[in-house]
Amino acid sequence: MNGWILAATVELAGGGAAALWGVTTGPTGRRVIAQNLATSALCPALLLLSQGYGRPSYVDLALLLALLGPVGTLVFARLLAAELERERPSAWALTWAAAGLGAVVVAAVCAATAPGRATVKLLVVGALLIGGNVIASRALSGGFQGVRGG
Amino acid sequence: MTRHTAPRTVLLAAGELLAWWAGLAMLWLVLITTVDTLERIVGASCAAVGALLARAGRRAVTWR
Repeated sequence: MNGWILAATVELAGGGAAALWGVTTGPTGRRVIAQNLATSALCPALLLLSQGYGRPSYVDLALLLALLGPVGTLVFARLLAAELERERPSAWALTWAAAGLGAVVVAAVCAATAPGRATVKLLVVGALLIGGNVIASRALSGGFQGVRGG
Repeated sequence: MTRHTAPRTVLLAAGELLAWWAGLAMLWLVLITTVDTLERIVGASCAAVGALLARAGRRAVTWR
């Protein structure tokens, strides 16, 4: 157990448990937001674990999650459009807190790895994670009015 | 029947395809584990196909 794995455990236990609780309880809008934020909780944990265990292949999982998580949320936003129309769920404080967490983790892992292609890959993961979650949150709160069902 | 496209349009399309290709090829080179000749060839080919698809997609969603 080193500091990276400890940080990942704390992050998974806190963020993952909060996301699970949010997904399983409350109205639809809250559940959708919680499943969107689950990506923001799990992806940084995978980055921390890759650093902690010294396994760069875990970064690929984080990349895939950062790419597919927001896409999944957009599918939910489309399928639940009628229901979300009434609620207009938004949790901007949580969204930006999650984005800040992702930025801090990416910066820390970048600082720990030797500069090179691995750093660029981590930055790509960070950009996908933060950008994807902000866009997905905006779609859930009805920010893209021009898009049918968005 | 022959249709003539304005040189400006051709240049713009080529420029856009080149930009997409460069971005996608860079992304490929960043995400692979080891950089060798085979990976460069495969990456350049995939980036070329991706550039065509990206331009088609961009044109499909640009309605404004």
